[in-house]
Amino acid sequence: MRGLLARRMKFHLLGAFVVSMGSALLYKFGVAEPRKRAYEDFYRNYDPMKDFEAMKAAGVLESAPPK
Amino acid sequence: MANHSQLNFQDASSPIMEELMGFHDHALMVALAICSLVLYLLTTTLTGKLSSNTVDAQVIELVWTILPAMVLVMLALPSLRILYMMDEINEPDLTLKAIGHQWYWSYEYTDLKDLTFDSYMIPTTDLPMGHFRLLEVDHRVVVPVNSTIRVIVTADDVLHSWAVPTLGVKTDAVPGRLNQTSFLTPRPGVFYGQCSEICGANHSFMPIVVESTPLPNFEGWSTSMSS
Repeated sequence: MRGLLARRMKFHLLGAFVVSMGSALLYKFGVAEPRKRAYEDFYRNYDPMKDFEAMKAAGVLESAPPK
Repeated sequence: MANHSQLNFQDASSPIMEELMGFHDHALMVALAICSLVLYLLTTTLTGKLSSNTVDAQVIELVWTILPAMVLVMLALPSLRILYMMDEINEPDLTLKAIGHQWYWSYEYTDLKDLTFDSYMIPTTDLPMGHFRLLEVDHRVVVPVNSTIRVIVTADDVLHSWAVPTLGVKTDAVPGRLNQTSFLTPRPGVFYGQCSEICGANHSFMPIVVESTPLPNFEGWSTSMSS
């Protein structure tokens, strides 16, 4: 029982720090980084003209009606 | 446009919106860290695992003043970076004016032969199959792709707000005042927004539709609209 408060406080303060950093890192590597990579991958080989031709053929553009 | 039961942002269609999404992830991470810290400490306190008999603790007071100040700096620096990025002098390729009325938008392309038109929502009774309810308009704002567009926003009567979430744009339309915003989209496509300042009975029924197309197509469209 000697030094119980100090021991517990040390343990739980460390635990709190680990939990909070852990949840932040989980979010960073589970959500934020995949999102950044998804945008990089999308724009790496993106061809705006090809996209435009597909939209034009689908008839969604007011300024470029399908023939 | 947003999907049903969507909670997060719409996919970004401009570099500024991508930056804003990154900043939102950063801010949410900080909020998650703080909330989980508080929840853990609260749980340990309420279950009797943590208590204190301290009455005078100078060191910990210093720690829990300095640490939050550092967290605030960590939030402020990226925020200011994006704020200044949005205000950069960027030599727009096209300037157009968006004027809010009760209850429609009108647009003026005075760079090109005084092209002006009104943009009314298409009522649900007249909506073709497959089109989006309360979002489609009779005349869209067509802009060239990969070009910096400056939009001067004002209003004719009461407050409105010109907002297109996917482009990261929201600018208040104030009568008697010109507010400026700019955007650039690297993708052709159709981008939807809605009036974002309460302006009367039909505030929810004056949407904004921006259509970005390659420059030759934009020139053809502006010629056909002017004639």
